[in-house]
Amino acid sequence: MPDGFGTDHQRIDGRAKVTGGARYASDVVVGNVAHAWLVTSAIARGRITGFEDAEARAVPGVLEVFTHRNMQGAVAETEFFAKGGYVGSTIRPLESDQVWHAGQIVALVVADTLEAAREAAQRLRVRYAEEAPAAGFDAAGVEVVAASDAGFEDAGVGDADSAFAAAAVKVEASYSTPTQHHNPIELFTTTASWAGGKLTLHEGSQFVHGLKHGIAAQLRIDPADVHVVSPFIGGAFGARGSITQRTALVAEAARRLGRPVKLVPTRAQGFTIATYRAETRQQVKLAASRDGRLQALVHEGWEVTSRPDAYKVGGTATTSRIYACPNVRTKVHMVHADRNTPGFMRSPPELPYMFALESAMDELAYALDMDPVQLRRINDTQREPIKGLPYSSRNLVGCLDAGARAFGWERRSPAPRSMRDGEWQVGWGVATSIYPAHIGTATARVTLLPDGRARVQTAAHDVGTGAYTAIGLAAAEGLGLALERIVVELGDSDLPPAPVAGGSNTTASVCNVVIKACEEIRARRAQGQQGAIEVYAENVPEGLPPDSIGKLYQGRNALGGGLEGGKQAMAAFGAIFLEVRVHDRTREVRVPRVLGAFAAGRIVSPRQARSQLTGGLIWGIGAALHEQTEIDPRSARYMNDNMAEYLVPVNADIRQVEVLLLDEQDTQANPLGIKGIGELGNVGTNAALANAVFHATGTRPRDLPVRIEHLMA
Amino acid sequence: MTAPAESGGLERRFLLGGGAMLPLLAGTATAQPTPATPAHEGRSMEMTLQVNGQAHRLALDSRTTLLDALREHMGLTGSKKGCDQGQCGACTVLLDGRPVLACLTLAAGVGTRPVITIEGLHGRDGGLHPMQQAFLDQDAFQCGYCTPGQIISAVACVRQGHAGSAEEIREFMSGNLCRCAAYPQIVAAVQQAAPLVEQG
Repeated sequence: MPDGFGTDHQRIDGRAKVTGGARYASDVVVGNVAHAWLVTSAIARGRITGFEDAEARAVPGVLEVFTHRNMQGAVAETEFFAKGGYVGSTIRPLESDQVWHAGQIVALVVADTLEAAREAAQRLRVRYAEEAPAAGFDAAGVEVVAASDAGFEDAGVGDADSAFAAAAVKVEASYSTPTQHHNPIELFTTTASWAGGKLTLHEGSQFVHGLKHGIAAQLRIDPADVHVVSPFIGGAFGARGSITQRTALVAEAARRLGRPVKLVPTRAQGFTIATYRAETRQQVKLAASRDGRLQALVHEGWEVTSRPDAYKVGGTATTSRIYACPNVRTKVHMVHADRNTPGFMRSPPELPYMFALESAMDELAYALDMDPVQLRRINDTQREPIKGLPYSSRNLVGCLDAGARAFGWERRSPAPRSMRDGEWQVGWGVATSIYPAHIGTATARVTLLPDGRARVQTAAHDVGTGAYTAIGLAAAEGLGLALERIVVELGDSDLPPAPVAGGSNTTASVCNVVIKACEEIRARRAQGQQGAIEVYAENVPEGLPPDSIGKLYQGRNALGGGLEGGKQAMAAFGAIFLEVRVHDRTREVRVPRVLGAFAAGRIVSPRQARSQLTGGLIWGIGAALHEQTEIDPRSARYMNDNMAEYLVPVNADIRQVEVLLLDEQDTQANPLGIKGIGELGNVGTNAALANAVFHATGTRPRDLPVRIEHLMA
Repeated sequence: MTAPAESGGLERRFLLGGGAMLPLLAGTATAQPTPATPAHEGRSMEMTLQVNGQAHRLALDSRTTLLDALREHMGLTGSKKGCDQGQCGACTVLLDGRPVLACLTLAAGVGTRPVITIEGLHGRDGGLHPMQQAFLDQDAFQCGYCTPGQIISAVACVRQGHAGSAEEIREFMSGNLCRCAAYPQIVAAVQQAAPLVEQG
């Protein structure tokens, strides 16, 4: 029985994962490996004035203590990813005495054993000349820069300020979202080994070809001499997309010691050696005519970034394009502070910015005395308002209607504080979800063996998304085979390149190229070719330049689709419905149920798609209720840099989670009509929760996360 | 934490925060300044660990945790390091039949007590254990990194009689973080496997 798109199937990598057989980066046994331990900066700004390393070096088994004194010049300067480079931060640790942020790597200790490396790292004393750091928004010494000065396009149309002034009904409010850290459960480990001038890296990566080329540039070696192995990744969520600076240091240490080196950083170090979701402050103004039609939308944002790097969240690119609105003005500002460089974290622009927009939409619905579902229906559009591009497909209204029906929305009593169950105030909230549908240039090799088995090889990545299974199903579809007869190989830089596992593009990008290869195999078979048939295929999606293949081979992504470029706007949509209960006296907030209805094109592997969206909805709950990295304003240090104090949802926090998948055939977005879903579920969920809290309590949460103290009378 | 470290053995929690090696006495939890004396020799200890029914003779640094012993010295990498502080549950193993956090358990304190890791779990026919099968059927994981710890805790959840209701399962399983958030499917997996896992 052949499988194919839409087959409900267990994960093909699942058996390895439930038996402990799946080898994540730090699980790979490397002979004669030495162990590294990081020492990170105790200050956030200033200079290193000296080291006392005699005690550290005296620990039996210590091989070397690497600092800027002996590593300066070892790692070449490379461009920030947003400028066409590879690194997620241009801050080069161990390059000089300068400290840019708290937790910056200041030394790398290598020893025969883990225990000796740890002890020596703890015995290393670092002296600093400390300067007062700027921790974030309100600190003296931050530098505020318009994102447009760094190449960001502030979307706008019409005259939003005049329209706002003249409108009949209006709301205006400020919102904030906190710093958040990805905290994948797998730590940011790296194992580096050299043989005959060739480097092998075992490191969880969302972009093995990017890592290969980036590390080659950093170490000034031929990319052909770098092999990145990353078949299993213990969670990524954006944290493993761009290169972090620790990798080059581990590789350089291994080169100098002539011995493989393995680094397993601590959980706390992961907060400062990788990226995070920047905190934002936002201001939204919405105005409508009395019938609820939007007349003006103004959305401004301020986002924290590091001193040297212009990382932009920039969610206004999305919030400006969702609803029919003739007058839009947006503006994004970056606030440079003494912090590590932020980066992509699951739904990077949309999660914080849709919180503000969808909260404001709820406020507008109350100002209009209109049902918030109805307000969103009234302002639906099949063309995005900024450039007037038609959506390739868009069924937000279908999501709102199906979701409302399944949730029982018609039983909602609209007034705040009007629903109750014993000692609990009950609130129901709704919000729109959107995620741009991306597709990238990709390559793959498919081999059909004479015995009817097949193999798919592509350097795509399964970060838990189910990519192994989805890609396997594409080959099953293309070759008319059962999934059991297909082997899928991913996550290895020796395989044909595929794009970064980011922007939810993998399924669309890779399935389209795999189907292309399968069609070629079928054609050759139809022509009578015997034996094993191996086909290598490339796919350059419509609108992307032909040289994007060459760029992909240099570890540079080419992603198309989305809302801004091209002749059409492409996005997946959803509607989130959520119930909260707030206790009368304790003000504890519980979430007994959440429901997401999604229209996201062709669903390739439904069981894994449901898991992705379920996990996304729970991420949204976490973003609204739990997650916040606390920053000490004086020292600019993260205070809760561990899994006990950085709160994420645990099993007991989660009750009923329901996912509805609407049929949607999109013949325009790409030949297979696939849209990404990995980042759809958590968008808007935070707003749905805050809106539900308002409905329950009459208190409007505008600053995340919602905490008990915000709800005390 | 629903999977506390055994109190009978030497626990590494007393060492966390204390910096270098302090006397291994339970109760000396107060963080003292790092001793000025340089590191000393003779840290290596010989021990035999009973893991998954096999005896492993090892010479380990006395500070080695059970987790690092499994991962770095026995090639048993199914048990994962997610925090090394007893906060995430990814390293959960069965020690004497009870779930413990291998990252907070010193290998030297394990003695002759049997350790079962994810690699030692299997069904009657040698195939998948019913809990492993249930996780597979219910898609109760995504990236899979926390999964070995989840499955070990889930087995303990049933064996210790805490799988009576979804509520009870959620509570017991809350010491095992899943960042991909497969929680509803994990509850479903425990419910699926519960009738097939022996209690007691």
